[in-house]
Amino acid sequence: MSSATHPPVTQYDLKLALPLAGLFALFFIAPLVLLIIVSFYTDTSMTRFGLDQYARFLLDPFSLGVLGSTLWLGVKVTALCFILGFPLAWIYVRAPRWAQGILMLVVVLPLLTSVVVRTFSWIVILGRQGIINNTLLGLGLIDAPLRLLYTEGGVVWALAQVQMPLMVLPLITALSRIEPNLEDASAALGAGAWRTFFRVTLPLSLPGIIAGCLLTFAASITAFITQSLVGGGRMLFMPMYLYQQSSTLNNWPFAAAISVIFLIAVLGAVTLFNFLGRLARGTAEA
Amino acid sequence: MLNRRQMLTTTLALGAMHLFPGISMGQARRLVFATFTGSWEEAHRDVLVPAFRKATNNAEMALDPMLSVDQIAKVTAARANPPIDVMLHDPGPALVAIGQDLAAPYPVAQSAHYKDLISDAQDPMGPAPFFQVVGITYNPEKVKTPPTSWADIWKPEFKGRVGITNLNSTLGTGFLVEIARMKGGSEANVDAGFKAIEDLKPNLGAVAANPGQLATLYQQGQVDIGPGNFNAIQILKARGVPVEFVAPKEGAIAFKTTIHIVKNSPNPELAFKLIEASLSPEVQSKLMDSPYLIVPTNTKVKMGGEIAKVLAKDHDEMKKKFVFQDWKKINEQRSGWIEKFNRDIKI
Repeated sequence: MSSATHPPVTQYDLKLALPLAGLFALFFIAPLVLLIIVSFYTDTSMTRFGLDQYARFLLDPFSLGVLGSTLWLGVKVTALCFILGFPLAWIYVRAPRWAQGILMLVVVLPLLTSVVVRTFSWIVILGRQGIINNTLLGLGLIDAPLRLLYTEGGVVWALAQVQMPLMVLPLITALSRIEPNLEDASAALGAGAWRTFFRVTLPLSLPGIIAGCLLTFAASITAFITQSLVGGGRMLFMPMYLYQQSSTLNNWPFAAAISVIFLIAVLGAVTLFNFLGRLARGTAEA
Repeated sequence: MLNRRQMLTTTLALGAMHLFPGISMGQARRLVFATFTGSWEEAHRDVLVPAFRKATNNAEMALDPMLSVDQIAKVTAARANPPIDVMLHDPGPALVAIGQDLAAPYPVAQSAHYKDLISDAQDPMGPAPFFQVVGITYNPEKVKTPPTSWADIWKPEFKGRVGITNLNSTLGTGFLVEIARMKGGSEANVDAGFKAIEDLKPNLGAVAANPGQLATLYQQGQVDIGPGNFNAIQILKARGVPVEFVAPKEGAIAFKTTIHIVKNSPNPELAFKLIEASLSPEVQSKLMDSPYLIVPTNTKVKMGGEIAKVLAKDHDEMKKKFVFQDWKKINEQRSGWIEKFNRDIKI
C-alpha cells in the first residue's frame, strides 16, 4: 500500500460533519432566523414589518440601562471568578498528585449538581435566617439581619460560585501547559517571584484566562435561574426582561428584538475577548 | 428480502413519524389536557382524570402540564391541528387566548352542570371549574396578632418583613389592583396602588419573581407577612411550615381559573366530557378536600373542611366575601403597569 492512494490520516472527510450540520441547521439556524423575522414586526399580532421594536429598545434609556447592568453584572462575576479561580488553578497545578484528585473533585462538584439546587442553597446561605446572618448575629457583630438575598451583591457571589468551574478548568489546562523550567530560568536570571509571575506565568496563561473569562461571562449574563432566584422579582436583567415581555405580556416582537439585541451585545463582548486573546498571544510569543 | 437501502428508508420514515406525529394525521389522537404544573397536575391526575375515564368508558387521555403562555404558543403555532384539546388559564391569559381566537365556545346548552355554577364562573367561552383565592399570609410564630385588613401590611412593625411578587404574576397584578381599589382607585386607574407600593418600601423584605418563590420565602423566614395564594399556603402548612391564611375584611381576591375547548380540536366530544367532569359536583367536592383544597364553583358542592373554616361556609357567603376583578380592563393596561413597576419601584 502506498500512501499516495490513501488520503493522509489526519485529514477527515468533511461529509462526516453533515449530520451535525443538519441538526444545527434544523434546530439552531432555523429558529434563529424565525426569531430575527419576528423581531421585525411592529405590532403584537404580527401583521406589519418595521424597525419599531429596535427603536423602542435602543432609544429608551431604561432598556439600555437593563442591557448595561446585565453586561456589567457579567464583568463583576467574571472578575470575581478570576480573582478566586486563578489561585485555585495555581494551587492545583502545583499540588501533589493525590491532592490534585481531591481538588479536581472540588472544582467539578458544582457541575454535578443541578443549577437550581446550587441556587437554592445560596438562598439558604444568604437569607434573613441564613447561615451568614445567623453567624454574624451569634458573634454579636450585627444587631439585625443584613439584607443579602435580593441584592446585586448576592447575585454576583452566587453566580461566581455557580460558574466557577467554567473559569477554573481552562485555567488549569493553561497553567499545566507552561514549561516549569521557564519559571526556574526566570528565577535564575534574577527575577523575583512576583516579577516571574507577571512577566512569565501570567502572559503564558493568557489563552486560558481569555477562555475562562469568555465562558464565565457568557454563562453569567444569561443565567436566568440564578438571576431570578437570588435577585428576586425586582432586579431586572436581560433574561428576565425578555421573559416578562414574551411570557407575561405576549409581546413576541419586542421580546424577539430584545433577544437579538442581547445576542449582538454578547457576540460583541465575545469578539472583544477574542481580540484581546489574539493580542495576548502576540505578546506571549514576542 | 429487504435490502439495506429499503431498510434505511423504512427506519427513517418510522423515526420521522415518531418525531413529527403530524405526518400520521387523520389517525385518532388521544385527548390532551394542558393543565398547570405542580399541585394542579397532581390534583388533576388523581381526581379529574379518573372521573373522566369513568364517564367515557376508559377513553385515553394525557395530561401535558405547561404554563398558560406555552399553551397559547403551542396552539397558535398549529391552529389548524392543535396539539392540545383542552386549555386551562388564569384570567389574563384566558382573555388573550379568546382574543386570539384560540378557544371554541362551550356548548352550554348540552352541559348538565353549567347552570349550577355561580354566576361569576359562567362564561360561554370557557367556564371556571375552580377559583384561586388571594388573601393575607402570615407566619403565626412571628406575627402575634392575626392581620385583618390589607392595610395591616403597612404597619411599621413589619419593617423589612413583607413579601410581594412583581406584576408578572396574576397574584402580583391582582394585589396591585386591590390596594388601588382600597385607596379609591379602580382597574382603570391604579395610580393609588403604585403610590401605596411606594409607601410599602420600608416594609418590603422581598419582591419575589413568582408566587412559588414567594411561598418558599416564608419557609426560610425571609418574610413574615404578605399577599398569598390560598392553595399554595395550605400546601406549605401541610408540610409543617408555620403559615396561616386569612381573608382580609376588604374581601379575598378571587381569580377564575377557566377551562377551554381548543378551537379546531380533533376531539371536541371528549374535550366537552373532560370539562363536564371538572364542573361536576363529584370532582369538585373531592378536589375541595385535603390535600388539594381547591375552591369549588359549583353551587351543588357543600363547602367543608379548611375552605369552610377559612374562606366561606357556602356559596352565598363566598359571593359576599370574594372580590372579583375586571381582567378585561386590567389587560388593557397591564403592560404599561409592568413597565411602570420595572422603572419606578426601586428597592
